[in-house]
Order: sequence, then structure tokens, then C-alpha cells
Amino acid sequence: MNLLSFIVLIPFFSALVLGLIYLSDTKKDRFTLYTSIGILAPTLSMILSIMLWISMLDQDSDTIFYSKLFSWVELGDFHISVAFMADRLTTVMVTFITFVGTLIHIYAAGYMRGDESYGKFFSYFNLFMGSMLLLILASNPIIMFVGWELVGLSSYLLIGFYHKDSANIKAANKAFILNRVGDFGFVMALSILFLALEGSGYSFVSIEANIHTISTPTLSLIGILLFVGAMGKSAQIPLYVWLPDAMAGPTPVSALIHAATMVTAGVYMVARFAFLYNEIPHVGEFIAIVGAISALFAAIIATYQDDIKKILAYSTMSQLGYMFVAVGLGAYSSGIFHVFTHAFFKALLFMGAGAVIIAMHHEQNIFKMGGLKNSLRLVYVTMFIATLAISGIPPFAGFFSKDAILAAAFASEHYFIWGIGTLTAFLTALYMFRMLFIVFYNGTQPRVKLSPISKFMDRPLIILAFGSATLGLLGLGEAYGGSNIFGSFISLPDRTLHISHSSEYLLAILNTSMGVLGMWLAYRLFATNATMPTVKVAWQRIVINKFYIDELYELLFVKPLRSLSLFFERFIDRVGFDGILYISTYSYRYAGAKFAQLQNGKVRYYALYSMVGIALVSLFLLIFIGGI
Amino acid sequence: MLENSIFALLALFLMIGAMMVIWSRETILSAFGFLVAMLAIAGLFALLDNSFLFLAQIMVTAGAVVVLSLMVVTSINLKEENLPKEPYKFRWIVVSSILVAPFGLLIYRSLISLHKSFAEVSSGYGGLEMVGDRLFTDWVLPFEIVSVLLLAAMLAAIVIARKEIRDDS
Amino acid sequence: MTPEPLFAISTLLFCIGLVGIISRRNLFVTYISIELMLSAVNLLLATFSRLHGDSAGSVMVLLMIAVIAAEAALFLAIIIQLARSKKSIDSDEFSQLQQPRESL
Repeated sequence: MNLLSFIVLIPFFSALVLGLIYLSDTKKDRFTLYTSIGILAPTLSMILSIMLWISMLDQDSDTIFYSKLFSWVELGDFHISVAFMADRLTTVMVTFITFVGTLIHIYAAGYMRGDESYGKFFSYFNLFMGSMLLLILASNPIIMFVGWELVGLSSYLLIGFYHKDSANIKAANKAFILNRVGDFGFVMALSILFLALEGSGYSFVSIEANIHTISTPTLSLIGILLFVGAMGKSAQIPLYVWLPDAMAGPTPVSALIHAATMVTAGVYMVARFAFLYNEIPHVGEFIAIVGAISALFAAIIATYQDDIKKILAYSTMSQLGYMFVAVGLGAYSSGIFHVFTHAFFKALLFMGAGAVIIAMHHEQNIFKMGGLKNSLRLVYVTMFIATLAISGIPPFAGFFSKDAILAAAFASEHYFIWGIGTLTAFLTALYMFRMLFIVFYNGTQPRVKLSPISKFMDRPLIILAFGSATLGLLGLGEAYGGSNIFGSFISLPDRTLHISHSSEYLLAILNTSMGVLGMWLAYRLFATNATMPTVKVAWQRIVINKFYIDELYELLFVKPLRSLSLFFERFIDRVGFDGILYISTYSYRYAGAKFAQLQNGKVRYYALYSMVGIALVSLFLLIFIGGI
Repeated sequence: MLENSIFALLALFLMIGAMMVIWSRETILSAFGFLVAMLAIAGLFALLDNSFLFLAQIMVTAGAVVVLSLMVVTSINLKEENLPKEPYKFRWIVVSSILVAPFGLLIYRSLISLHKSFAEVSSGYGGLEMVGDRLFTDWVLPFEIVSVLLLAAMLAAIVIARKEIRDDS
Repeated sequence: MTPEPLFAISTLLFCIGLVGIISRRNLFVTYISIELMLSAVNLLLATFSRLHGDSAGSVMVLLMIAVIAAEAALFLAIIIQLARSKKSIDSDEFSQLQQPRESL
């Protein structure tokens, strides 16, 4: 089924074409050409994905479509093919990723217009799309890992897009390096998995079939190491510090990569390996706990941030925590459902924030904004809808997905996790509405004259707002009379949980009230006369400084490694190796010079040298042959 | 007995001459030492029943070569100060003697190992007729080559030693 | 008479000539030392000629003497030319083929 290959290959090809056109003349302004090619590619992928989805509707729930590109490695028993597979999970992911991705590409055309490296941007953007689709559609873990690495690369390229400012380069490096730390765990997991399987095939399907041959301790190790990879990619504790810094990239990048798609790759990976994690529920518990703590931690920090994009970055980390709670506890459908709804409202929030930033002449501090409610009506309304969604207020999308996750936590009797989740829901509503009120309320007039926003940026906001408002109904559980269309379509091997309808209703009411409470408190505190957070109590200082985690990492890891590196450079390399080389070359030259002095042009000396030789030979002959 | 004493005398003169050659500070003295050595060698040739060589040695070497050297030494006419100063002559000679000694020893030992002794020779040995006979039968080619060599040497010597032709027109 | 003393004499003469070449700077002495070496060889040849009773050795000595004469002419011509150009017959003066001094 070659459709699958094209979904992945079209963006890559487009990236190549755009790159070549850009390189041919980097200064020329070819807005229409770049835009049309750059938006065409994800649109085509989206159309193909929808076609895939339509054909999936008719099939059985465990049908898998395959498409093999070529065989990559064939060494005895070890076969790796570059091949794609599409089951229900893949279809869902691919469909919404291409849909949201296309919208963000359109938005980016308006946002990045006039930038001197416009063509390069779209080349990288398409490269990212291709890599993400490769990751999702891969039929074996190694190809998935190739996609995993490629999205990391695209992320690096795009974060450091404004490369003239070295702070952006540092942020890009930080993202890539922390990703790499996670990838180390991932590679270890893949290697152990491969060794444990002992050559019985290496695609997801065959791994699933042979999973019972691996012992539980080995499986636990694999599960934990895979999650280490997810920690890096999806910004959970402790490998999250790159995500706030990644906001240095252009806003469309933040919207697409660091909100809707790349960061969810970790969650996807756990869902893809659901059959593995179902064997090791204790590891799943660990994942859920890490997710919960990350969610709470990020929410606390977000309540004191003043940069609009950083608030959204911490919000992403927090929501990712929720997703990991879900997949950790075995509720894979709920986790992926939250990925789905989150993509819509988070992309919307970022895009709206981008519109505000452009209107305020690239100002990102929310306390310098205010009173934009009437001037940026469209942005305000759409962002309001998204904020309602993320706060879990019904009937918007976030309510259904978040509710499902907390219900799973409650039903599996992980009350600690459930408690943290509920508290975080309150904080989420609080900081999100804080942001909304500070930016759009606080006066009726904006403080500065606003720049106009292009039409490319407006329209996608509307579509996403519509999605945030309505798509929650896809996951409507049977307690409310729905049939959980999403969950039943995706048919992941969820661990069964039992919860009574009455508990579900109570939980729903609790969650809603948390959201409303947060909204009300934010209104009281921030809707009028909001000022920058100042340090009144000691713990506020810690929170404002993001718990000093960056400084801690700097002290623990960066400084020692840098000193070690300097040590190697100064001593081992310069003195040691260079010294040895210098000695060996210098000694030859020195000896050569000394020998050259023998050639002094005086005949007597030459005769003397010959005589020395003759004397030695004569001695030799006399002693050893003649016998003195 | 007589033979041995004559031999000893000739050998002594030879050594004295050789020593004079390498030790003298004056060039003239070296040249005279050379003369003495050549004459002593002529005497030794005679002792070896080789009358022709005795004559040839005196005529050519002592008569032509030594005379030529003396002529050149005197005609160059170097002043006292232009003679090379050889401050370390003694050291050099000692060191070279030490280096040369093994070689000399080697040659001597190999010569000794032949274990030959003089035998009676025919009456015409070493005389003019016998040498001439051998020269113009077996050794005629080297003879001719040597004559060409002498011609070449003569020409070469003239070319090397002439004054530079200045173009004064 | 035995040949051994003659061997000794000629070897000694040869060595003295060798020492003279190596140790003296005066070009004339060098030349004469070369002559000494050649004469030592002549003596040896004559001895062997007498030992074998073969006149071929004597013929060789004769030819050698002729060569010595030719070589004398050339050598002395060179000395004349050198003395003319540098006003010195010190062999250490003529060291133009030496390794040029270079710093490391």
C-alpha cells in the first residue's frame, strides 16, 4: 500500500526541493513559491491521511496496512527494512498531526513573512513533518528511532533558526543535548530488546507476538529505559529543562513541535509499546508518578512566569504529565485522546500568543500587554475557548480527556496520583486564565499601537477553536450516553478499570469545580491591576526562579564536564599528545641538524670518517674471523 | 747477513723519510723526506733482484716526480704566514694512527698467512729484457692505455695550471 | 731473506701514508702521503713478483710508476691553481661544499 510511503516521503521531498531552491539564491524573496510548495506538502499528506482513515473505517479493528520501501540491513538473521505500518493508532495520530500541521504551516506563512530566511524555514518545517510522520508510521522500532532522531534534529534546526543571537543557539544545543541523553536510554532499551528476542524478527508486530519469551526483569529494564527516552523527548522530570528555553524559536515552531507533535512522541511510543507495558504494570506506575509530579511542578512554576510563551511551555509540560499518567496506568486510549485534544487547543494557544506577540511588536512580557480584548477580538475569543478547553471546563475538549485520565487514576486506586492530578487541574485553570486576563483585560485600550496581523494567521485560529470546542464529544464515555467513539476506534489494549457511574459523575463535578475555581481566582487576582510578581515570601523566590533547577544542572553536570573537557584540552591534548609529537619530530630535526654539522666541507674529516669505518670493519674481521 | 743489514739500513731510511713527510712543519722538508723515501725504495727494489725497477724508480720517481714537486713547492713561494697553521697536528696524528692501526694489522696478518718464502730465480729475472718481453706481449694493451693516459694528463695539467685569459680588448 | 719484513715495511709505509692524508692540512703533504701509499703498493708488488718469480709483477710496477707520474702532474697543477685563487694551501680553506648553517 504505497499510500503510506507517500505520506512520509512527500514532506521530505518538499523539504529537499525547498532547500535547493533556497540555496540557489538565499537572498531572493520568493514568497509565493516557497509558500505554495511549503504548504502543499503537508496538505497532500493530510489528504492521504484522510484517505487512509476512510479506508480504515471499513476494516476490522486489528487490521494493519503495510508498505515497504526498501530493505536496509540484511545480515544473517538481522533484518531491518524501511517499512511503514498503519494500524488504528497510527491512523488517528497521522490524521490529526497532518491536519494541525497543515494549519500551522498556513499560519507560519503569515507569521514568518518578510523574514530573510523564509525559504529555509519552510524547508526545515517540512523536514520536521516528514520526520514526525516517519516516526509515527514506522513498522519497527529502529525506523521509529530514526524518525525520533530526525525530529530532534529538526527541533534543533528550528529552535536555533534566529541563529544570529547566540542565546538561541544555546537553547537549541540544550534541547538537542538533553534529547540525546534520553536517546541513550532509548537505544539501550532497543538493544536489550533485540538481544532478548534472539533474532525472532524485529518489527512491532513480531515483537508483540514474541513478548512472552522475555523475562519480567528484562522487560522492566526495557520499559524503564524506553521511558528515559520519552523523558527527554516529552520534557518530563528530570530532562525537561530544554522546553522553556526552546521558546527561543519562532512561534510556529513552538506551536507545531513543542506543543502539538514532537513532544507527544514519547506518549505515542508508550502507547505503541502498550503490549510491553501491560506486562510490567509496576513500571507503568513509575511512569504515572513521574508524569504526575512533572505536571504539578510545571503548573507551580507557570503561575509565576511573565513570558507568554514560557507559560505555554510549562503548560505543555504539565499536560504531557497528564498523558503519561494515563498511559502509565494502562489507559492508553485516554492518553492518546488527551494528545489529540491537546494538539488542538495548545496549537491554538500558541498561535494566538504568536498573533499577540506580532501585534505588540515582538513583545513577550505579559505585563507589558493588557487591554487587547477589543482590539484583537478574534484572537481573544479563540484563545478564550482554548483556555476553557485546557482548564477542563465542559463541554470543551479538554474536559473529556482530562476527566478520563483522572477517572482512570481514581479507579485504579492510585489516589496519590489522582490527588496531584486534581490539584494540578486547579492550578492549570489558575495560570491559564491568569495569562488570559493579564493579556486581554487590565484596561480597555492597548498600551501601544498594534501591528496588523495577516490573514494567514487568523483563519487557522478559527478552525482550531472549532476543534477545541467540539472534538471532546468524540470521547464521550458511556456514562454520559456516548459510546466513546475515539476509544473504540483506536482499540488500544487498555487495562480494564472499573468505576461506577456515580463516582464518575462526582469526579466530573469535582474537576469542573476545580476549573471554575481557578478561573474565578484568576479573575479576582489578575483581571485588573495586574503587576509583575515580586518576592514577598521566601518560597516565592524559589518558584519565580523555577526552583533553581537550571542552576543545579549547571553545577552538577555542565561545570564538571566543562572542566573535564578543559583539562583534557590543556593537559592531555596539548601537553601530552602534542608534547609527544613535538618531541619525536623535534628530536629528529635536532639530530639531523647535529649530523649535518659533520658535513663541513673539509676533506680531512671525510677521510677520517672513512677511516673510522674501515677501522671498525678491520677490528671486526681481526677479532671474529681472525681471532686476535 | 750482509743482505739483512742492508735491508735494515734501507728500511730505516725509508721510515725516516716517511716520518719526515708527515711530521714536518716546512713543506720543503716533507719534499726532501719524500726524496729519501723514494731512494730507499729504489734500494729495496735492487735488493729484490729487480734491476730494472731500481733504475725506473730512480729515473721516474726520484728524478721526475720529486723534482717536479720541489719545483712547484718553490715556485708557489708562499710566505711564512700563509702556510697552514696546524695547531692540533699532534692530536690528529695520534688519533689517526689509532684508527689506522687495525687496518694495518689486518693487512699484515693476511699477508703473513700466505706462508711463502723466497725461492731461487732465473738469472734473467728483473732485467730489462725480461720486463720488456712481458711488457710488449702480455701487457701491450695496458702499455698503450698508459701512454694515452700520460698524454691526457699532460693536456689536463696544462689546462688546469694556466693563467686565466683576460679579455683586455 | 724472508718476505715478512718486506710485508711489514710496505704495510707500515702504507699506514703512514694514510695517517698523513688524514691528519695534515698542508696540501703538499697530502699529495706526498698519497705517493707514499702508492710506493708502498709498488714495493709489495715487487716483493710478490720476486716470490713468484714472475716478471708480470715488475711490469705492473712499471705501469704504476707511469701512472704515478701522470697523477703527480695533475695534482700539482691543481695545487698551483688553488694556491693562485686563495693564496693558501690549507685544505680546510676549501670548504665550499659544506652544509650551509641553518637554524633549527
